[in-house]
Amino acid sequence: MLELKTAIVKYGAATALWDISLTIRAGELVCVVGPNGAGKTTLINVIAGLHRIASGGFLLNGDDVSRLPSHRFCGKGIAIVPEGRRLFASMTVRENLVLGSYCADAKRQRRETLERVCAMFPVLVEKLEDPAGALSGGQQQMVAIARALMAQPRLLLLDEPSLGLAPTIVLDMFRIIRDINAEGVAVLLVEQNVAMALDIARRAYVLEEGRIVAEGAPGELTSQPHIRRAYLGM
Amino acid sequence: MFVGALYGLLGLGLTLSWGILRQINLAYFALTFLAAYLCYQLSTARGIDPLATLLLIAPGFFVIGVALQWVFARFRVSPFNSLLVTFGLTVIVESVIQSIWTADFRRLESAYGVAKFRLGVLYVPAPELITLALSIALSLALYAALRYTDLGKAMRAAAEDGPMASAFGVNRRFIALALSGVCATLSAVAGVCLALSYTLAPAQIYAWIGVVFAAVLLGGIGRPLGPLIAGIVIGVSEALTMALTAPSWAPLVSFSLLILLLLVRPDKA
Repeated sequence: MLELKTAIVKYGAATALWDISLTIRAGELVCVVGPNGAGKTTLINVIAGLHRIASGGFLLNGDDVSRLPSHRFCGKGIAIVPEGRRLFASMTVRENLVLGSYCADAKRQRRETLERVCAMFPVLVEKLEDPAGALSGGQQQMVAIARALMAQPRLLLLDEPSLGLAPTIVLDMFRIIRDINAEGVAVLLVEQNVAMALDIARRAYVLEEGRIVAEGAPGELTSQPHIRRAYLGM
Repeated sequence: MFVGALYGLLGLGLTLSWGILRQINLAYFALTFLAAYLCYQLSTARGIDPLATLLLIAPGFFVIGVALQWVFARFRVSPFNSLLVTFGLTVIVESVIQSIWTADFRRLESAYGVAKFRLGVLYVPAPELITLALSIALSLALYAALRYTDLGKAMRAAAEDGPMASAFGVNRRFIALALSGVCATLSAVAGVCLALSYTLAPAQIYAWIGVVFAAVLLGGIGRPLGPLIAGIVIGVSEALTMALTAPSWAPLVSFSLLILLLLVRPDKA
């Protein structure tokens, strides 16, 4: 459903990503791993429509979206759970979720989606009227995921969802990601926790210094000594 | 109390554009006076009811607001520069007003000027009651719009994290244009209220800036009910000061309140 073809991404004069070719098929769970500063967050922001590619191709369901304005990506079935959550902190949890379904298509089924999301994250039900900024880190991460699900995405982008969370909550988070994917939503996961990410992913890309240096099934990647050493500590 | 309602009305557009568009728009004061003079002109020369002139002025001002925002977005004006640019605009508008209507004092004579309502033992002049009613109604309407409508929530979200709001489908360009239009329309309403109860002179534009800023800061930037409540607090304390000491002490009040607030709760302003 999504295809980047030899895309180059720049910040001003500096190039952040070189010749990125990446595909995500419908319903797939793909992860991107790599060291800090490799450009993983930039890649996610490009796919979410928050940053434009300088050259190359960017197709969504066959349409060229390389010049599409940011606010149109949501309607194309893409939703983001950004790094650091970036909730609308002064607004209530409910308002955050309502904004998740701001797009016309999602708005029509807002009530049903809200019920589904609340069933998925029961702890949020009693927090609905609290300001999102007052929640704990794990709860905020749930709100961030719930907000993205309110958009009824066909592709969910997750940028470091386990960052700063307690180990038991990290396990919950991975279970939730797997559940979401099992319902047919494609997932692009960027994770520090490489072992766990490779464990649930169908395919993976390794990003280093702005370039994709390896891709393939997790099994193939972990058989490469370089990747085992750099990312799995083995 | 009633002058407080006018502070509130003047501050409403200012606080919204400050809080949501991140623009400190001094031009609203100039637009308010422009609207006041237009109201004066239309009702004096053409004999139109002063309140009815609002129907003519408001749409025009909405367009002015949209155009202003379009220019601001086109040149990516930063919050601090917006202060400078809009101050320049204010000076220009003042000169235009002065060249058309001269620097003489102008007073709108209308049926509203002499009408009075009886509230218990008090007789309240109609213009002041109209100002209070409009100020309360508009502040409440905007409060409700920001709180309960999708568009209002989108505005607040865009103010808090613009790119994230875009990622969820909020068209920030459109929202900024619409909000700027609404703010300019508010200044048109304030202008008509001003024309109803005050004698107009171009240089008086600047007399309002300080105290309205105090009301905006006291009320909390970006809060639609803030300027009204703070404006009434300031208005009442000014009236008390005038009654207890001398009228010349009145301006001291708003700024003392402001300094006190900045000392006690700096995070609020």
